[in-house]
Amino acid sequence: MNTALLSLSAPLLAALWLLLTHRRQAPVVIVASLISLVAAVFSLYQVIDAGEQSLALGGWESPLGIRLRLMPVSAMLLTFTALIHSLVGLYAWRSRHSQTRHTDYWPLSCLLHAALAALWLSHDIFNWYVTLELLGLVAVVMVCLAGPKAYGAALRYLLLSLAASLCYLLGVALLYGVYGVLDVSLLAEAARADPSTRTALMLMTVGLMLKAALWPLHLWLPAAHSSAPTAVSALLSALVVKGPLFILWLLWSRVAPEELGQAAGPWLALAGVGALLVGGWSALRAPLIKLMVAYSTVAQLGYALLALGLMLHWRELSLDAALWLFVLAHGLAKVSMFLAAGEMQSTLGSRRLDSLKGATQTMPVAMFAFAVAGGSLIGLPPSGGFLAKWLLLLPLLQNPAHWPWALGVMLGTLISAAYVFRVVAISFDRARPTSPDFNPDRFAQWLSLLPALLVWGMALISEQLILWLTGATL
Amino acid sequence: MSLLWTPFLPLAIVLSSLIPGLLIFTLREEQQRTRVALNLVGVVLKLLLVVVMLAGVAQGFTFRFQVPFLPGVPLILQGDALSLQFVSLSSLLWLATTIYAIGYFRGSPLQSRFFGYFSLCVSATVGLALAGNLVTFLLFYELLTLATFPLVVHKGTAAALDAGRRYLAYTMGGGTLTLMGVALLHSVAATPDFTAGGYLAPLLGEVDVSLTLAFALLIAGLGVKAALVPLHGWLPRAMVAPAPVSALLHAVAVVKAGAFGIIRVVYDVYGVETVAALELTRPLLYLAGFTIVYGSLMALRQRDIKKRLAFSTVSQVSYITLGVALLGPVAAVGALAHLVHQGLMKVTLFYCAGSFAETCGVHQVQEMDGLGRRMPLTMVAFTLAALGMIGIPPLAGFISKWYLGWGALAVDEPWVLVVLVVSGILNAAYFLPMIYRGWFAASKTGECARTEAPAMLLWPTLFTAALVVLVGVFAAFDLSPLAWAQLIVDREFGL
Repeated sequence: MNTALLSLSAPLLAALWLLLTHRRQAPVVIVASLISLVAAVFSLYQVIDAGEQSLALGGWESPLGIRLRLMPVSAMLLTFTALIHSLVGLYAWRSRHSQTRHTDYWPLSCLLHAALAALWLSHDIFNWYVTLELLGLVAVVMVCLAGPKAYGAALRYLLLSLAASLCYLLGVALLYGVYGVLDVSLLAEAARADPSTRTALMLMTVGLMLKAALWPLHLWLPAAHSSAPTAVSALLSALVVKGPLFILWLLWSRVAPEELGQAAGPWLALAGVGALLVGGWSALRAPLIKLMVAYSTVAQLGYALLALGLMLHWRELSLDAALWLFVLAHGLAKVSMFLAAGEMQSTLGSRRLDSLKGATQTMPVAMFAFAVAGGSLIGLPPSGGFLAKWLLLLPLLQNPAHWPWALGVMLGTLISAAYVFRVVAISFDRARPTSPDFNPDRFAQWLSLLPALLVWGMALISEQLILWLTGATL
Repeated sequence: MSLLWTPFLPLAIVLSSLIPGLLIFTLREEQQRTRVALNLVGVVLKLLLVVVMLAGVAQGFTFRFQVPFLPGVPLILQGDALSLQFVSLSSLLWLATTIYAIGYFRGSPLQSRFFGYFSLCVSATVGLALAGNLVTFLLFYELLTLATFPLVVHKGTAAALDAGRRYLAYTMGGGTLTLMGVALLHSVAATPDFTAGGYLAPLLGEVDVSLTLAFALLIAGLGVKAALVPLHGWLPRAMVAPAPVSALLHAVAVVKAGAFGIIRVVYDVYGVETVAALELTRPLLYLAGFTIVYGSLMALRQRDIKKRLAFSTVSQVSYITLGVALLGPVAAVGALAHLVHQGLMKVTLFYCAGSFAETCGVHQVQEMDGLGRRMPLTMVAFTLAALGMIGIPPLAGFISKWYLGWGALAVDEPWVLVVLVVSGILNAAYFLPMIYRGWFAASKTGECARTEAPAMLLWPTLFTAALVVLVGVFAAFDLSPLAWAQLIVDREFGL
């Protein structure tokens, strides 16, 4: 537990240090995120070894005090967050095209990291509200780093995020009024399927779906994610939207009474299929590189939502593992895709997809990263995306009555293949001659390839990973 | 044979092209010598390894490499008689095509990219041949799509990109259907190794709906690459690819991967008895028969040499499916022999087409007038392969057609003979005019000096043409593809 706290406090202290000293030192952030990463890995080991741990802050036991809880999934997400933060930090620091090198990106990204770490460790619906609020505000400010042209998208993000928080808070208040507790475990014991619980869950779900940009409440995401600076887009897509998803998962799988979950499951799953199809279609039609990647996030979150909904409906617990594998695979692939897309966009000088003509010749490594990451989004074996899809498919295929859902997954796969390969095909167009001073940044390109290789490298430990996740999410 | 290294042999066969391929990607354009050296080292090494494995399998050894992948589903590379039939073909033709491609691309740009993907493509093909269960097969099946796409669009022209998009649309669709089929089978029967005689027989009567649906999904998914009508639309379009790519696509890599997959599914997953019990053969048989005739008819209508050859592939590859769907041992021998024979003949024809286009600028059938006097050796090779396709004894094509016809009679499906005869006549109708023009028609552009193709293009062509003759003439010998096909069938049918 102490290591987990260290993983949380390293970025927090770094943020405070940078804010107090008014410095914009990238190395401090990188070091902090690496310390956080090492600590998170240790906490992961501890959890695997010794099982769940919890800590009552200040010695106050619940229901009075605030309890932090280190579950296997939260340890995994801590590690994941620190890994992605350090990778993206490295890009923001070293890339020649990074728009964020001398800005407030550094303290903000640390705050974001700390807020997420706190979210993963919290086990209390009000604490979640606090972390969500912090996360949302930091994310909005980070979108603004792109300058005035992003203000519109950021404002919309802010307003919807506030509305979402309000919804969530109302739900929290309602639950507190009925049960008098905020701790998740206590709430889970007390929860009954009465109208007020139902209303509270509904309000919280709407709030969380808005925050996580789950279809059909995704409208703010494409503009915000695509207009943010590249490093920020990567963090937002890979990490930020996963926070509310985590809460949604715990809320429904732990707190909500079983019969409510069973009733809500199909609706969540339907929204998931909707996300896959509509998000995928929008990605296919998107004229801008980063907009396409952002819409692909909307689509990919559909898989997670589908897994969640069906898990609730059938009490099929193996789907939990599918959900978290999707989160891991999507996070890594999306970081790679955003970094590659951002790097190509700034090197080739246009935000439009057409500007990628000939990118396989002019920027082969970045384009390769984009395609490899895309392969995982499609779910080609043996990438992480495939592992997740395999886990999702098996329970769907076992019973002929469930086959329509499998059809949804199949259509989602086809449409994601279409939008990924649309870009890849453009890049194979013959390259126009480049100017003599054309000098792409090699290091940044290779850095964007790294997470994509990691997501395919998941195949090397796939069996243990799946078995562990299946056990860990029970 | 020692037990320590045998599991690594299949892995080494895959890596012997994968590693050179990855290294080639890192080379600069002008490092021509290193690139050629890497290619040749990989090719030779692979051939040697295949020979070792052939010797081992003939004596009854199995080579099995396994790593954990999904819970209960390891990735398995396994050398058995059937996989070796395909592996030997692809390794041999990789050798010929590499030499051809080095000559073909001399002096043209983007060679590192091309040869890199070329090696990946062969690795995927070999991996697919050696795959020991359905999930491993699926993995390499998808990788093959990814590795061939850059080859199809290599020229980067609008037409090439268009063909590439269509290729991807078809093959990704097929891949998704295959994935669904594999997952569906896994959910009812897990994913054991491929087993001679299949492993689904015990489930008959319990989950027939699932089994039938999975079969339909798998055949549809594999049929895309095997170019079964109506899933063949990508193949004629993909003709815009450079000649070595077309040669490899048609003879080894893509269409054969589909046909090989159908063989695996019918023999080693479902098993002949299960397929018969589920009454799944008839639709497949009719589909294959229709594809054979339709492909030949379409080939007859084409004026472009490569397009004509492409439709001829659509037709000829379905002979394999036809032989498999007949479910008898004799027809199976024909199908398995045709897997190799068609590869040898088609690769020769595409080499010739590439040489005609490169050396004399000939793309259309009516431009072939007098080619025999300008490029006699290439034309000889073309003639031999074309006659083989028609099925003239004692060439390769005759052997496989003979066994197919005999096999059809053995299982009492005489109408298949009609299909074979009609297709043979159609083959003659579209190949003989080309041969006639080449040898006997007077050149319209006036007499022209002898301009034989460069050696690097000529020798691989003559080599494969010679093989077309040899595998036909020496079909009865122990080392011929036919004898090996007989060995496979003995093991598959437990004879």
